[in-house]
Amino acid sequence: MQTRGPVIVMELPEKLNHAEVESFLTELQPLLEDDRPCIVLDCSQIQYMDSAGVEMLLHCLEEAMKRDGDLKLAAVSPASAVILELMRVDRLFEVFDTADQAVRSFKVFAPETSSEGQPWYGTPQGLADLKAAS
Amino acid sequence: MKSVGLGAVVVIGAKNQGLSPSHVQSPNVSDVPEGSLLPEPMECVEVAGRSLVERSLERLAAVNLEAISVVVESAAFIPTLRTDCRNVEFRVASDLKTAIRQELSNYSQQGIEHAFVNWASVYVETDLLDLFSFHREAQQAATPTFDQQGPLALWVVDCAKAQHLPLEKLLRIAGQNAASEYFIREYVNRLDHPRDLRQFASDMLRGRCRTGPYGREVRPGVWLDEGAEIHRRARVVAPAYIGGGSKVRADALITRFSNIERDCCIDCGTAVEDSSVLANTSVGIWLDLCHAVVRENMLLNLERDVLIEILDSRVLRASGASRRFAPKTSERREVLEQISDLQETRQVLNAWQLGNNNLIQE
Repeated sequence: MQTRGPVIVMELPEKLNHAEVESFLTELQPLLEDDRPCIVLDCSQIQYMDSAGVEMLLHCLEEAMKRDGDLKLAAVSPASAVILELMRVDRLFEVFDTADQAVRSFKVFAPETSSEGQPWYGTPQGLADLKAAS
Repeated sequence: MKSVGLGAVVVIGAKNQGLSPSHVQSPNVSDVPEGSLLPEPMECVEVAGRSLVERSLERLAAVNLEAISVVVESAAFIPTLRTDCRNVEFRVASDLKTAIRQELSNYSQQGIEHAFVNWASVYVETDLLDLFSFHREAQQAATPTFDQQGPLALWVVDCAKAQHLPLEKLLRIAGQNAASEYFIREYVNRLDHPRDLRQFASDMLRGRCRTGPYGREVRPGVWLDEGAEIHRRARVVAPAYIGGGSKVRADALITRFSNIERDCCIDCGTAVEDSSVLANTSVGIWLDLCHAVVRENMLLNLERDVLIEILDSRVLRASGASRRFAPKTSERREVLEQISDLQETRQVLNAWQLGNNNLIQE
């Protein structure tokens, strides 16, 4: 596991079957329970993936999104990509060529880019102007 | 006018004997191990109801040849012919070179003067009589053929002259020497890669070649073979082919020149797009099968050029695989007892279903 700023990069095991999924999930689960988890799963080592693996990826994505975070995939091999397509889950994940690209994609929308206490819809000054106009 | 005897020697499965005209094939062949996807040579695989061998034999039989010899590397590769091709004889030979020479020699003795020699892995739709006329006018031992992409594994051979030449020299490829060569403008498929099977299916369904899908065209562009079942909630978007005994279940979608061969099952909600599902394959529920050739539990994705084996039988499997696990006699007896118990309680169930249940209030 690597931490790059607010983003956590984890390497998936070679085999993503029922047995491996359980041990991997025990490691990942606490991270998914953080506030706004930003997770990148590096799939470069995957040699074998079955429906338990796909189910685990969906579970992780669901948990991350529930907490306003996201889970992205990196370095997906052609064989893994074919399985994700076959199972119709490829469109649910953002997939990047490398883990670095996936990490950078999180930084574009990282919360520290906006100043603290400022609402997303505009500046307080702008709101005051609107109120004055009405 | 003297009549001329004409025969044909069709060769199946020559790739493993160094006899295959590999130098005749296109160079851009990828490394996908075709053998692990297909146990038989590609020319023996059924595409839209019939194998390419059968289609080639039909074309040869249509010219009224006196004899057609099919030389096969292994008895397992002998295809079951669904159409009645006259004068076709199969011969299994481990040494294909000797077998071809032998056949040409036999022809010569039988008074058959000329013969087509065709590797069945090359499907050619040309005017065979025109090719033969060209060969006769050229008065040479063998006439090679070629198309826009290069030489083809189809020759016309003078059986008598063939006796005095080694086979490699006789079946020289086009462009190697000064011999007159015949240019083929019509449809050709070289079957170098499983991708070519997909291309062939697509070409047939688009009407790009003369040969067509086997079966009945139930509506424009949709061919169904005998015993194919399509659920009323399934969608088949033309052009597409569904083979004999295949089932397309509810909410499934078959589209973009896909061919589902015989005895397949496409389960509920699955979309098959631009794909070939080869015979005896069962595809599970709610899947997206795109740009692929599938056989039993092997999937070749043509877009990514990846061959994968799927071990989860709920996703892909050979049709009828579940039949292997027949219940034991004791288990059967238990099931039968359970059924008889259920039949005894049936009357009670009927009463409930008819609304005699006190819990249901109107």
